[in-house]
Amino acid sequence: MHKYLQGSLLLGLLSLVTTQCYALPELVLEIRDHLFFPSQLNVPADKKLRLTIINHDNTPEEFDSFDLNREKVIFANSQTRIFIGPLNPGEYAFFGEFNPSTARGKIIVVNHTDDQNAN
Amino acid sequence: MKLSFFIFLFIMLIIPSARADGDVVDKVYSPYVLPFERELEWRFMSRQNDDGNELTQRFAYGHALSEFITMETYIIAARDSHGDFGLKAYEVEARWMMTEQGQFWADWGMLFEVEKQHELNIWEVSTGVLMEKEFGKVSFTANMFIVYESGSDIQDEFEFETRMKLRYRWLPQLQPAIEFYSGEDFVGVGPAVMGIQRYQGQKQLKWEMAFITGLNGNNKDHSLRFALEYEF
Repeated sequence: MHKYLQGSLLLGLLSLVTTQCYALPELVLEIRDHLFFPSQLNVPADKKLRLTIINHDNTPEEFDSFDLNREKVIFANSQTRIFIGPLNPGEYAFFGEFNPSTARGKIIVVNHTDDQNAN
Repeated sequence: MKLSFFIFLFIMLIIPSARADGDVVDKVYSPYVLPFERELEWRFMSRQNDDGNELTQRFAYGHALSEFITMETYIIAARDSHGDFGLKAYEVEARWMMTEQGQFWADWGMLFEVEKQHELNIWEVSTGVLMEKEFGKVSFTANMFIVYESGSDIQDEFEFETRMKLRYRWLPQLQPAIEFYSGEDFVGVGPAVMGIQRYQGQKQLKWEMAFITGLNGNNKDHSLRFALEYEF
């Protein structure tokens, strides 16, 4: 049992020492009538971001993106958050798994200088 | 950040220098859980070594209990090297997603398993840490288990097990990978491929296949594993 406790302690410590919390810039994505608003989000490259998704519908939705490697269920009339990035410049498509024909969107990742030029 | 990753990798490689009697080659678990998810799963594992061929099949049903916890029950059937095929064991497994995906340096979860041999008084209790780390389109997944075996038909003992997978997320249906397994008297590595086909709603079919070659000694030791998972 002594070895078991030692092992468990080691696993616990590993989990603790390798997790850090960050204060991150936040983006908001809303779901209304099975559509994402906005359907396109521009974000800077090489930055980690927190994406807050607010579901105003009376049914749940699942944010799904193979490009971003993220899947997250948002319960009806509630909100959740997803952490994305740092990402390379490019387009990253996402969709609502429960309403894939309507709930679609993309995240455009741009270099900071490109973003400034665009503005 | 990179230093902690290499420290973690080093610990994963050195800890399981002693370990387990059971099948080391199995699934490499991700720490992620989705609510509402139910699944049917079939796993097949064939191991060929100098003692002959061992075949293990697992049939499972899983159900998410919350946003962070899912449970799965297994019936395990096996054919030993004497050619006898039959019910071998039952298992209950709980998986706990501890951190949100992408929130920290790596994503973390835990796995708890209790297994009982069908005709023998052998119990196996496992606790494991599950970890996944993204590097662009590459995902590194690692599992580290502590297993306690007990019962009147076995000598009580602790065992350690490590599983690792490096996966390239090329296409949803086709994701090549390399898998590594380490346990008692076994170290194996080999190519793997996996994919996912989505259907309507949460319905999706996941598949995995790997061919693992044992690196321990000069004896032949090959394992072929295959898994199908239907989520609905």
